[in-house]
Amino acid sequence: MIWLQNVLVSRGEGGVYGERTLDGYRVWDPYRSKLAALYVLGGGMELIPEIRVLYLGAANGTTVSHVADYTGTVYAVEFAPRPMQDLLEVARRRKNIVPIMADANRPDEYAPFMEAVDLIYQDVAQPNQVEIAVRNLVFLKPGGHLILMLKTRSVDVRRDPAEVLSEARAGLERRLDVVDVRWLEPYHHDHAAIVCSSR
Amino acid sequence: MLQRYWFGDVDEQECRAAGTDPAALAERAATLRTGMESYAPIDWEVARDCGVVRTREEYVNLLRTVCTTLAREKIALSYQGRDVELLQMVRMLDELDNVINLLQERAAEWYQVTTPSFSRKYRSLPARKMLDLIRRGARGGLADAADEIERLAGTRTRLMREVSARADEVLPNVSALIGGLVAARLLSRAGGLSALARMPGSTIQVLGSERALFSHLRGGTPPPKHGIIFQHRRVHNAPKDVRGRVARVLAAKLAIAARLDYYRGEAVPEFIQNAQARIDGAGVAA
Repeated sequence: MIWLQNVLVSRGEGGVYGERTLDGYRVWDPYRSKLAALYVLGGGMELIPEIRVLYLGAANGTTVSHVADYTGTVYAVEFAPRPMQDLLEVARRRKNIVPIMADANRPDEYAPFMEAVDLIYQDVAQPNQVEIAVRNLVFLKPGGHLILMLKTRSVDVRRDPAEVLSEARAGLERRLDVVDVRWLEPYHHDHAAIVCSSR
Repeated sequence: MLQRYWFGDVDEQECRAAGTDPAALAERAATLRTGMESYAPIDWEVARDCGVVRTREEYVNLLRTVCTTLAREKIALSYQGRDVELLQMVRMLDELDNVINLLQERAAEWYQVTTPSFSRKYRSLPARKMLDLIRRGARGGLADAADEIERLAGTRTRLMREVSARADEVLPNVSALIGGLVAARLLSRAGGLSALARMPGSTIQVLGSERALFSHLRGGTPPPKHGIIFQHRRVHNAPKDVRGRVARVLAAKLAIAARLDYYRGEAVPEFIQNAQARIDGAGVAA
């Protein structure tokens, strides 16, 4: 990862969402991007050009653009039409993003387009986030990683976030080794990052 | 095991490429159904050996083109429903109402300051009525603003007619029972015709009174009798003691009407007639 004066940045064409630039690098803001928050808090793994990423819940392509700056190929899956329009524009200018309009709940919808990937990054506001991740493990290479951004409030607003997290962790441990778990405070509330590696 | 990928069909012995024309590939890809039990992810080198592409760059480029084409088609499809635009039209209409009211109030306040002898007391002048007064009496910025408000009001009236006409077309049965404008507001609050068609009558009854409903559910306050449907004369003109019943009956019929609109898409005269009679009957004091 590239750090300039303790600021996380990425190298690529700017002006995607009005992000600041620093010495020609694009500033990756931890308050806007949960993945940036994970790196700023000392977690995550090195993103390098050799890896391929499956990005579930690509939304408007803000974080996707930074991931694409670092990595080889990004398969960006998004379901909703409005954000998809923005994502297509981002993908038009970044030659290593494959934009896929499909439901992350239904991997069979995009399986005919998928390679095996080194990293699955998931940030979806659904109650069954762990289930979605597990369904997509079919695309993960042996030794690959999963970063699940758990939105505890999307799982169940009434329950204690810590309880939701430990349940999610247990669910993932059935299939993966959990490497790191951390809350994204102070950048994002009630969001936790769960980093796993495949066995 | 035969694997069907976006660029062709692959099994142990051979690979049948599906060509290199992006439009044709997209069309074919849209028809693929994948069983996940026997699925294996793509090895891009297979596509190369298959003769579809020469380099990884070419592979990713072609795939991007195919996926972008598919995504554009899906986006177009999701916006194609006639209710999608109606949703935006109603929201614009309600926003215009807000803006016009705010501007009128502000202009009235301003006018009072410039005319010390003027008072709204005892003349029961709503801000709307004052607008004419202001346009005649005021000068400069205030008069300009008043003209602008007048123009906005005209826009609003035209948009209202458009909304009403579009609602008659998109929601023929619901509109017949409750009027195009209120029908469109129900649609906007529900978030779309498919969502409205899946709602039970009891939800439709309180659409738009979520605050009262949740304060009731949390305990204490009485439940709301009606939300948006209160705007219909049959509900707000009903005597107070039967208003709840009218709202309930109306909402139940609206739920059926919404399903007719969604699944049949045309007015069903005998349903409308029976429903009207039933709703009118509910309004007669017991």
